[in-house]
Amino acid sequence: MPLLLGSYAPDMMSKWFVYGIHIGGWDLKASDPVQFHRGWPGVGFTHSLLYGVVIAFIFWRVLGSKTWAISFLIGEWAHAITDTGDTVGTMLFFPWTIHIHFGAWAYAGQTGRLTDAAAYFSGPGAVWDLVWIVYGIFCWRVLTRSYFERHVFTADAFWSRANRVVPVAALLILYRAAFFYGTCRWIAWSLWAHVVHHYPYDISWGGPHWVPAEHSPSLTWLQLAGVGAIIATGVAIAFASRLEFGRRSWAAISRTLGLT
Amino acid sequence: MPSKRQLTVAAGYVAAAAVYVAVGVWYTDFLLSFWVGLAYLLLVAWLLPLGVRRLF
Repeated sequence: MPLLLGSYAPDMMSKWFVYGIHIGGWDLKASDPVQFHRGWPGVGFTHSLLYGVVIAFIFWRVLGSKTWAISFLIGEWAHAITDTGDTVGTMLFFPWTIHIHFGAWAYAGQTGRLTDAAAYFSGPGAVWDLVWIVYGIFCWRVLTRSYFERHVFTADAFWSRANRVVPVAALLILYRAAFFYGTCRWIAWSLWAHVVHHYPYDISWGGPHWVPAEHSPSLTWLQLAGVGAIIATGVAIAFASRLEFGRRSWAAISRTLGLT
Repeated sequence: MPSKRQLTVAAGYVAAAAVYVAVGVWYTDFLLSFWVGLAYLLLVAWLLPLGVRRLF
């Protein structure tokens, strides 16, 4: 659950305002969707490594659960790092406000929900999602009831507490729902975009190029050196703190990911 | 290899997915929220079978 929450956290409160909604006679939409979603000023800090650390720290101190803290952190970081794949990228090292971006797929959030969906499911982003769906199917054992009862249910007190009011059968469905939703969403949007509406596929780098994508400026050599220094420092800290993040922790993460 | 029972469960999820995808393509708002997806799955994979078992 915390991993799922973490993976949704960066967009949870902001995406509706990026696309805009209509309530009664009111149209609510960010005047500059890209700036609001990924920038500063804006809520772009939700796509940073620091945001994950802060919320994880709150989970740890308030809920007293290291499992929730680390799982939330992994989910939030996965989202923030994945979004560096598009043409706008994320302020990964906020409060440093440069955008880390690899430009693999087009950012088109400013075009509205439907065009954004059509663009995303026509470009390299859709291929990237497909990689994870195939990986999930390859690791089908993690979706079985026995795996859930043996490894997931016992690892997080949330499940046993929920089990006081909800039967295991329903909790198992809650556990499987993320993979079900992600896979169905990919298939449905792909059918909608390519069978119903005939948007063209363009899985070239930065594609699809038929959509007016937003772009962040390229990093200067000095900024690249700064990023390199931050990453090198992070790696050095990770190696130095083997007591907290030692072999046993890696083994637990590997089990969770179905790598063993 | 998955057991016969696991394959039966998987087939149930595939059927549920086919309906979800069909509705989602026709009415895309159905695809926008994880919580809608979860509610749908709880309904078709837990509550409906539970209700049917109670009835028969």
